[in-house]
Amino acid sequence: MTPVLEMRDVTVTLPRGGRDVAVLEHFNLTIAAGEMLALVGESGSGKSVAALSILRLLPAGARITGEILLGGEVVTEARLRQLRGGVAGMVFQDPLAALNPTRTVGSQIGEAWRVHKGGSRAAAWAKAVALLAEVGIPEAAARAKNFPHQFSGGMRQRVMIAMALACEPKLLIADEPTTGLDPVIARQILGLIARLRREMNLAVLFVTHDLSVVAEQADAVHVLYAGRSVEWGRAADFFAQPRHPYGEALRGAVAWLGQGRLANIPGQLPEPEARPPGCRFAPRCAYVQAACEKAYPPPVEAGTIVACLYPLRDVPRAAAVVVESVAKTFAPLLEVRNLSVRYGKAVVVADVSLRIGQGECLGVVGESGSGKSTLGRAILQMLPYAGEVVLQGQALTARHRARRQIQVVFQDPRESLNPGLRIGEVIAEPLRLAGVARGAALAQAEALLGDVGLSAALMDLYPGGVSGGQAQRVAIARALAGGPALLVLDEPTSALDVSTQALLLNLLRELARKRGLSCLLISHDLAVVSFLADRIAVLREGRIIEAGATAALLAGPREDYTRQLIEAAPRLQL
Amino acid sequence: MRRQRAVRLLRRLLGSAVSILLLVTLVFFLAHLTPGGPAFSILGQKATPGSVAALNARLGLSAPLLVQYGIWWGHLLQGNLGYSYLLNRPVGALLWNYEINTLVFYTIAICLSTGLAILLGLAQGVWHGRWPARVIGAFQLVFYATPPFFTAAILVLCFGVWLHWLPASGIGNPRLAHPGVGTYAAHLVLPVVTVMLLTVPMLSRYFGEAVHEELAKDYVRTARAKGVGFAGILFTHVLRNALRPLVTMLGLSFPYIFTGGVLVESVFNYPGLGWLLWRSALGRDYPVLIAIVLLIGLLTVLGNLLADVVNGLLDPRADYE
Repeated sequence: MTPVLEMRDVTVTLPRGGRDVAVLEHFNLTIAAGEMLALVGESGSGKSVAALSILRLLPAGARITGEILLGGEVVTEARLRQLRGGVAGMVFQDPLAALNPTRTVGSQIGEAWRVHKGGSRAAAWAKAVALLAEVGIPEAAARAKNFPHQFSGGMRQRVMIAMALACEPKLLIADEPTTGLDPVIARQILGLIARLRREMNLAVLFVTHDLSVVAEQADAVHVLYAGRSVEWGRAADFFAQPRHPYGEALRGAVAWLGQGRLANIPGQLPEPEARPPGCRFAPRCAYVQAACEKAYPPPVEAGTIVACLYPLRDVPRAAAVVVESVAKTFAPLLEVRNLSVRYGKAVVVADVSLRIGQGECLGVVGESGSGKSTLGRAILQMLPYAGEVVLQGQALTARHRARRQIQVVFQDPRESLNPGLRIGEVIAEPLRLAGVARGAALAQAEALLGDVGLSAALMDLYPGGVSGGQAQRVAIARALAGGPALLVLDEPTSALDVSTQALLLNLLRELARKRGLSCLLISHDLAVVSFLADRIAVLREGRIIEAGATAALLAGPREDYTRQLIEAAPRLQL
Repeated sequence: MRRQRAVRLLRRLLGSAVSILLLVTLVFFLAHLTPGGPAFSILGQKATPGSVAALNARLGLSAPLLVQYGIWWGHLLQGNLGYSYLLNRPVGALLWNYEINTLVFYTIAICLSTGLAILLGLAQGVWHGRWPARVIGAFQLVFYATPPFFTAAILVLCFGVWLHWLPASGIGNPRLAHPGVGTYAAHLVLPVVTVMLLTVPMLSRYFGEAVHEELAKDYVRTARAKGVGFAGILFTHVLRNALRPLVTMLGLSFPYIFTGGVLVESVFNYPGLGWLLWRSALGRDYPVLIAIVLLIGLLTVLGNLLADVVNGLLDPRADYE
């Protein structure tokens, strides 16, 4: 049987700084009907380029060499319009941006149908309504008349899927379709794709940076690193034992539920201009040998197929760590009493009371819109609220100096660091505010940079000149500078790649242990929260519906909603 | 939802009313406080201090300024805009007469400009960074930077004086009682072209930039992934989203449709409201001057409001905000 998608020796170059730079090299891929292949890699790996090259949706100036076959037919410029949507449909990451804001979803889905099948507008509309119902949108006939902004994130992605599948293509190319969605919603979208795959015998190319998303459903895995394939094969083989050191590191870096330790991948992805001549992972590899740096290693079969001179053998698995079930006790630090926040008439946080002890980390989980970030901001005294926030026996107000005792790290480090200040100045600023002399403040800033694992060379750089992971560590150093009593971490890792996230989570855990740091960790990702938090509070619609020690909560949730969150969290089944 | 919208609209109208009130008041006092007065314009060379004082008394200009201001409002509230000193006609009727000329002139100019700007902008957005867009961009810059009186002078010189293809001024042959539509149209050509040379570069540049930005958006990639052709992408997806900044610009230029460009109308001696504004400012014809300023204020508010309404129709996300 001919495979649905075949890519042979595909190389893609993109113009960068006036030169064509290869972002994907000698890439081979085959997907059969009904098969789901997960194309995995971190940002800069070339995975999205590979996905976009199939239907030639790359930005202007991109050059593709090699052969791409869809349903046995070579993709050519002349046949492109028939193939797009007809043989392969595409779903993108950010459905709000990917849908035209000024047209109803019904007309946009109908358009996908009419482009290929013709027919009247009325027939296309009827088809669109049927498709919306098919992807699980209630009251499809009425909802078809709505515009994209009137849907929730998950519903929008369903609309995208309905559009991609309007003409019953053989292949669905999904480029990070669940990134940015809440875990529970993401799981529903994955479930939908799985059902459609069964019903339509659909081949699925699932592009993602997050292994945990595809662990349960992918038949095959293909790992890309810096534009080259490093490991590929059956998903079961891969998850049982990755053979490439990068594959192994990637699996270890994902925060799976109940994970005791996260693997660090030191260093950074090389820029396309500065790639090492041999194995691209060599500079970061823990097992590197001299031969690795000479040439790209020829792929060998070793369970999976792996482009490595020294594929990993079976590593004896360490016995599962017994989670200490003894509840630790903490001296009281922060107490929040009956805190409520309203935006206009809407109650965003309703009557929340919680305590954080000295040296304790409290995790707050909830989906977007649950009020978790608002709660954090109220505790930081950044917005008006009703109720009381008591820190070390002292009730805080917005004008209180003691509010400096609570510091914050936000989700997007690039947005939250002043781009016009050097990193040294960013970190020294809280100290300068506290009256420390400039020289002393800068010296302390340098020490803090060391504490978060960054070199002092970064002191004179601007935030724009460092990577996202480094910028987030700078943000942590800045938050630590004033010696705060409490750190509020608002989704500190969700804008980062898996390996960077692992690095940061390990760093936070280490800091918490060493410095006896107390923190309020806000996240939608239960796996991340359970990794750091001593206790977890589940927030839903502004209320804490359940709280308890981490291990106890994960083992025996009382509420259905908590159970759903736990089910949606990534889990490595071996 | 609907009530919120109504409240917001009302609040906005009230705010605009205050701005117009301030504008009219400011112009009223500034005009009266500048030296000179209508008496000099009316009496001309023969003016003596005695005759000026007598005329001022007759026109009501000898009363204290605040009283005059109060009287003006009293008349306005009764729907009376006053009486022109120079042209001896009620201001309302006068404005209406000139208004029609301006309306014809600018409606044609703005419609042609918009059409041309959309074509040029689409070309510029599609070919962004390549030579057709650069050529268009160069022309935009040159004409946008050229003041209209200069453009007008060059046009008059070329087509009116040297080539004798087109009349250079006015709206008709004064020797004919009914010059006819053809003559009128011929007189309109140069003023319309002058206005277009100013507005097309401005509108097309904004629109071209918007087209270019929209073409780079994710939903365009989605449309391509569906198999939609280039024309479909441009006309069913991009056009509507890119029109919003253009509509806003048109809303801002709305007052011009009614009041006309002072410069263009005076250069071409075209009897529209812009010309009337210029004449009444020179001749200190206060009632006419202030009435036109009031009209400009009202139209500015109306134009902005209209632009918002149209944008609300174009984009379901926008409210009257």
